[in-house]
Amino acid sequence: MQIYLPIAEVSVNVALLLGLGGGVGFLSGLFGVGGGFLMTPLLIFIGIPPAVAVATEANQVVAASVSGALAHWRRRNVDVKMGLVLLAGGFVGSSLGVWLFTVLRGIGQIDFAISVAYVVFLGIIGMLMVVESVRAWQRQRNPAAPRRRLHQHYWVHGLPLKMRFRTSKLYISALLPFAIGLFVGVLAAIMGVGGGFVLVPAMIYLLGMPTSIVVGTSLFQIVFVTANVTLLQAINNQTVDIVLALFLLIGGVIGAQIGARASGRLRGEQLRILLGLIVLAVCVRVAWGLVATPEDMFALGVPGGRE
Amino acid sequence: MSAARLRILPISATLLALASSPCWAAGKLLVDLSEEEIAITTGFTGTELLLFGAKEERGDVVVVLSGPARDAVVRRRERVAGVWVNGASVVFRGVPVYYRVASNRPLKEIAPPEILSANGITEGTLDLAGTTDVPAAQRVPFQDGLIRNRTRQGLYGYDPSGVAIQGDLLFRTTATFPANVPTGPYSVNVYLFDRGKLAAHRESTLVVRKVGLGADVFNFAHRQSTLYGVIAIVVAVFAGWLAGVVFRR
Repeated sequence: MQIYLPIAEVSVNVALLLGLGGGVGFLSGLFGVGGGFLMTPLLIFIGIPPAVAVATEANQVVAASVSGALAHWRRRNVDVKMGLVLLAGGFVGSSLGVWLFTVLRGIGQIDFAISVAYVVFLGIIGMLMVVESVRAWQRQRNPAAPRRRLHQHYWVHGLPLKMRFRTSKLYISALLPFAIGLFVGVLAAIMGVGGGFVLVPAMIYLLGMPTSIVVGTSLFQIVFVTANVTLLQAINNQTVDIVLALFLLIGGVIGAQIGARASGRLRGEQLRILLGLIVLAVCVRVAWGLVATPEDMFALGVPGGRE
Repeated sequence: MSAARLRILPISATLLALASSPCWAAGKLLVDLSEEEIAITTGFTGTELLLFGAKEERGDVVVVLSGPARDAVVRRRERVAGVWVNGASVVFRGVPVYYRVASNRPLKEIAPPEILSANGITEGTLDLAGTTDVPAAQRVPFQDGLIRNRTRQGLYGYDPSGVAIQGDLLFRTTATFPANVPTGPYSVNVYLFDRGKLAAHRESTLVVRKVGLGADVFNFAHRQSTLYGVIAIVVAVFAGWLAGVVFRR
């Protein structure tokens, strides 16, 4: 069955949308990742205009993160103070990001910017995932190998505006989480992702937060930042497709539950290598779109960026 | 197809009635459309429109369907450091978003080019000279790029055998509208040429519009975008919360 998406203005197969939502949802349930960084490029591959894919995916990430954020909130796994500082940065960053998005769209460079952002981030994350998983796998087989220290002191601990974060048991400069939030906010706006893949490692390795509260706190920030992106994209670019978001959501919710259940039965490190490889494959596909000689040397747009 | 034939029958009946009355002599051409409105509904995947009519004795028929005029920007893809980016661009003002020509035989056999172009008929190669300030040498590749892209999207086209004539009296043609057809008023021009000269011309209009839920969502998103954004967030939060509740057990 085909459905005409009112904002994307294309006709797509409903089963395909549900399948995409389910597949990415399964992976996100399996690995505990948001899935936005896979969904947005996949939407672009099936012919959704990139600007619509990014804005709609931000909307879907709100839904995908809410139930997780609530669950962590109930278990008190959220450092609210840290979350609010990250969020302050996130609001500034995502507002800046949507502004940048609108400008790039007006000059016809938004598709290029989205692709480049994806190639860079999927490339880095995919490589890190594979390398890290292979190392962890080897460590399992050879327990004598040295372990990495969790909390180290860097130059960042000398920054001003120090704040005490009781839940995280940290006394650090508020500028650092603010800057991290800001950076992730820009990514959320331009890539249509929650940014958990940057936020979680940054919180562990840069801030030195305890792993137990990292996921809850990052989900807390992601819900509000992606909500801000949704609102600003709707106002500035009218690119949020509620119908598309709903179909992805239905598939995504079901897929995530199946994935979460399956994750208990499968071997962790091999799975992470697999996810890393999937991420790299998507990265290569996006990169190919940038370097391959286009079908036509001329492309259409509409003045003012309304496509 | 049978529906199409059924619709033509009353026309030929009308024609017979008209043939005996004096007003027929003035109008050598009768035209009707299977629809006067193309509705883009939630299930829309593109559509076909049947245009049919009757003409007086011999002559060639040319049908021109033209969509609403909008500004178009064409960007040249340029290679920078190994990757393709959008480079130089040309803006064309007021170019029809849809332009399809159909005739019963190749245009050059029907009438001389001057006569055709005087009536706004071109073989799908719109002349966009008047729509931009860019000099011809620079304009032409961009103009060709625009036409090529729109042709690929099914929005532009020329079919030299798209009009079927039956018994030198009845004719019909089908026009295809792809799923991405732009909304707005369309003009339908039907020309009758007799031995290279324009013998008759009929113009009518057609509207393409979004209807139903999809149209409501689109209008809402554009007219009250702040409220739309808020609703999108509320729906997402509710759906996420609901999913958490349903699957907790």
